[in-house]
Amino acid sequence: MSITQSGTPMARPPASAGPSASVIGPKRRKVGREKPNYLAGVLSAIWLVLVVVPLYFMISSSFRTRQDYLRDNPLKLPSSPTFENYQSVFTGGFGRYFLNNIIVTVGTVAIVVALVVPAAYAVARNPSPMVQRGFSLMLVGLAVPAQAVIIPVYLLINQMQLYDTLLAIILPTAAFALPVAMLVMTNSLRDIPNELYEAQTLDGAGALQTLRNLVLPLAKPAITTVTVFTAMSAWNGFLFPLVLTQSAEQRTLTLGLQTFSSQFGTNVPGLLAAITLSLLPIFFVYLFGRRYLLGGLTAGFGK
Amino acid sequence: MAPVLTFFGVFAVLPMVLVVYLSFTDWDGFGFPSLSGGGNWSRALQDPEVGRSLVLTLVFMVLGWVVQTPIAMMIGVWAAGRQRNRAVLSSIFFLPVLLSTAAIALLWSAVLDGNFGLTQQLPFLDRFSFLGDQSLVIYTVAWVLTWQYVPFHTLLYQSAARGIPVSIYEAATIDGAGRYKQFFRITLPLLRYTLITSTVLMLVGSVTTFDTILLLTNGGPGTSTRIAPLYMYITGFGAFEFGYASAIAVILLVLGAGLSLAVTRLTGFRKMSSQQEGS
Amino acid sequence: MSPRRLTKVAVSATTLALLGSMAACGSDNTAGGSGGGEGGGTADVWALQDTTLNPIEEASIQRYNDGDGPGSVKLSTFGNDPYKQRLRTAINSPQAPDVFFNWGGGSLKEYVDAGKIEDLTPILDADPALRDAFLPSVLAGAEIDGKQYGLPMRGVQPVLMYGNKEVLTANGIDGMPATWDELLADVATLKAAGLTTPIALAGSQSWTELMWAEYLLDRVAGPEVFQAIRDGEGQGWNDPAVLEAMTMLKQLIDAGAFGTANDFSATEYDAGGTTQLLANGDAAFHLMGSWEFTNQKGTNPDFVSAGNLLYAPFPAVEGGAGDPSNLVGNVSNFYSVTSASPNKQAALEYVKTQLNNPDYVSELIAAGDVMPIAGAREQLAATEDGDYLTTVYDLTENASNFQLSWDQDLSADEATKMLTELSNLFLGVQTPEGFVAAMAG
Repeated sequence: MSITQSGTPMARPPASAGPSASVIGPKRRKVGREKPNYLAGVLSAIWLVLVVVPLYFMISSSFRTRQDYLRDNPLKLPSSPTFENYQSVFTGGFGRYFLNNIIVTVGTVAIVVALVVPAAYAVARNPSPMVQRGFSLMLVGLAVPAQAVIIPVYLLINQMQLYDTLLAIILPTAAFALPVAMLVMTNSLRDIPNELYEAQTLDGAGALQTLRNLVLPLAKPAITTVTVFTAMSAWNGFLFPLVLTQSAEQRTLTLGLQTFSSQFGTNVPGLLAAITLSLLPIFFVYLFGRRYLLGGLTAGFGK
Repeated sequence: MAPVLTFFGVFAVLPMVLVVYLSFTDWDGFGFPSLSGGGNWSRALQDPEVGRSLVLTLVFMVLGWVVQTPIAMMIGVWAAGRQRNRAVLSSIFFLPVLLSTAAIALLWSAVLDGNFGLTQQLPFLDRFSFLGDQSLVIYTVAWVLTWQYVPFHTLLYQSAARGIPVSIYEAATIDGAGRYKQFFRITLPLLRYTLITSTVLMLVGSVTTFDTILLLTNGGPGTSTRIAPLYMYITGFGAFEFGYASAIAVILLVLGAGLSLAVTRLTGFRKMSSQQEGS
Repeated sequence: MSPRRLTKVAVSATTLALLGSMAACGSDNTAGGSGGGEGGGTADVWALQDTTLNPIEEASIQRYNDGDGPGSVKLSTFGNDPYKQRLRTAINSPQAPDVFFNWGGGSLKEYVDAGKIEDLTPILDADPALRDAFLPSVLAGAEIDGKQYGLPMRGVQPVLMYGNKEVLTANGIDGMPATWDELLADVATLKAAGLTTPIALAGSQSWTELMWAEYLLDRVAGPEVFQAIRDGEGQGWNDPAVLEAMTMLKQLIDAGAFGTANDFSATEYDAGGTTQLLANGDAAFHLMGSWEFTNQKGTNPDFVSAGNLLYAPFPAVEGGAGDPSNLVGNVSNFYSVTSASPNKQAALEYVKTQLNNPDYVSELIAAGDVMPIAGAREQLAATEDGDYLTTVYDLTENASNFQLSWDQDLSADEATKMLTELSNLFLGVQTPEGFVAAMAG
């Protein structure tokens, strides 16, 4: 499961293509006119501080020199900001790690989407016990942690001569993202009314045509969810890169952060610069596609 | 269906079968695994560390749920309000979602460092050794996990709460029900499905605390935070006792598969689409 | 890549995997990888990633390839943690290295016992000058059952006691303690003066705690007790000397020498924690490998240049059977040749001619390595840190025994267990008796 190896809060949304939160209209405005809710306000303020302070510490300290970091008040702005930490992160191979992460993420998503769409279509439309049993089998994998099978996966990858390649990360990451993706996709396709399928059949469309004309367009929200989820689990993956690769050339970002952490030693600002940099690309995705990203994360829960 | 099953079969099912086989072998990385009968299993049954690490895994599961659920629900319902300031604040609340587990664990180990960390520069907090105190460290880890996971669950509750028709609240207000009464009589019951979903995700997700703990405490101090997956990892890839590590892995596998079955059976997760409230 | 092609790739990959996995349990556990044992007589040298060391190794390989020795050599480097794991699985496969970096001692012995390592004794016998080129106490680090299985390829790294002169002087302590009782007295003085952690300890990495146990047992009973433990002879861990050493250690811990468990148990060495504590004067002593000097110089140059960093051998224990000249630590690192190497000629010629090559040696010395090469002393003395480097050299040359760190000298499973039990002893959740029982059991 993606949940397992990524450690990110991956949901397994039964992506029924229901009305999403953003669609809900202006008639909700009234809620806001009530008297202020002090308890919730105070709690939220506390939470805000707890979220912001570490992030502020991370960003502001990443601009300090090592000496300033040990001397300065960590909550004040850096007295003499420096970019040297960012420079050393880049010379430390950040670009390479970043590129590897993108390759792993794109590869994993491509495999999962390519496999899941036709398979979910089969589960939704084909009542044969073989297919249904296959689906049940996959669902057993939902909560099986990747750690439980890491030793045999390591053996297999060695056997396939894939050790220390990006494919060694992509293949098992994709396999463990499958149960969630299947669940989301299947539930979404089940929501397509039977009549629509029948209409296709009446028009003389074959299975492939039906897939293209009917299923793909209607399954878009589910595909988005599968993409966002799989991408996040691949992007954050730690265990598979840790065990299945070793060289700096194949290192992903998460593993790279760990490397920076031992490489920089007392240079905490250097590590914090690396963490900040690792956040930036996703932050831009968040800035420009917040609705898409967050919507994708919760699709199917939003009813 | 065939490609997906083949793929899943090779990279997920086959390893599950192999790990069971390996748990009956001795293998130190040299040469080949050699069958050793039930040796690893009788050792696992006698090893107090196995029981301890499993209990610890359970503790993190329960602790995570107890701490994260109320926070996520309250903030989620609050953030569901349409006020402008809430929208801005909640977009800040969600920021931790964007950080990878490794980034979060390393950030917090810098924040909590017992000698040079942020907490050592702050009044009151500087008297604690968050990562060094054996009795405190479990809560420290639970807190870092909370920081990491609450935003996502907040999102779930937020979008669910936004889906509750305003007319229900309007009717309740007319009937003279106060805010808290409304919360417990209307919001909470209507969020029950989200509560189940979120709970399931937390339970399943808490088997995954592996990366966080590896990077934050490495199971320490001593063995205070050595959860079962970490114990398995250290046994396998540190001590090169792959056979024994596989036995521990099989226990994890059985627990995980059991949890999956329970979840899909009990909650009807498998065919959830048609059972959600309001549909 | 189009989804269609990806599916194809995935399907063929899975087919391949199925076939491969059939053989996974029964047959050779081949390890794929970057190494590659291609023909053409190119011997593959495996070493650790190290930004300082790797260019020097590359230069040495270049020298070999430019010369007229048979075949050629190339370097593959690995991160520290995956290295042992990779070596384990690769050694059985065609991707095995021809020459590989190791720590000597028990971890090398596992490979020797598995019949994987080439005996280098004939080479040394044929070329006594080569044998004499290395310090005997260091060469002994890769000697197993009277045979030589590796040659030193870098500097010695004994564990030494470091001190902060300012802190000691401020508390009326004159120099580093020569005996265990002096150390206890110094700790008491410093505690009374309000220093919370007289001795810096990176307790989150239990190999730093191990250094205390290694030296104490050696000073109490000499090196033979541990050698018996390692070789599975005699009373092993049940030797009364082990309990005695652990009890002395326990006294030091209970005296608060390292502060409380809360102080040290999350402190890291890799992250520079204890190095900084000593330099800041938050601690007066620090037991660490000889690389600590380089670290201090890198992170706290002013502290070192002011002459405030003291160093001395581990204190003697009065009445103890161990020779106070004995050292523990990383004896050196070694290059060993695999016995199944298809490029053995090149591999042997490389280790034979290049490890005592003057250029290689002086480049390593310039990088701060104390090379265990006879006559390196003059070169060391001429460097900027000559005083320190010659001290390390002399200590090594005069040591009657140089014990490899226990975690490298025991098998991986026993080492892992020992480190866990030891860290529990430091945390106060394990007693010296319990430690002995757990290790002997």
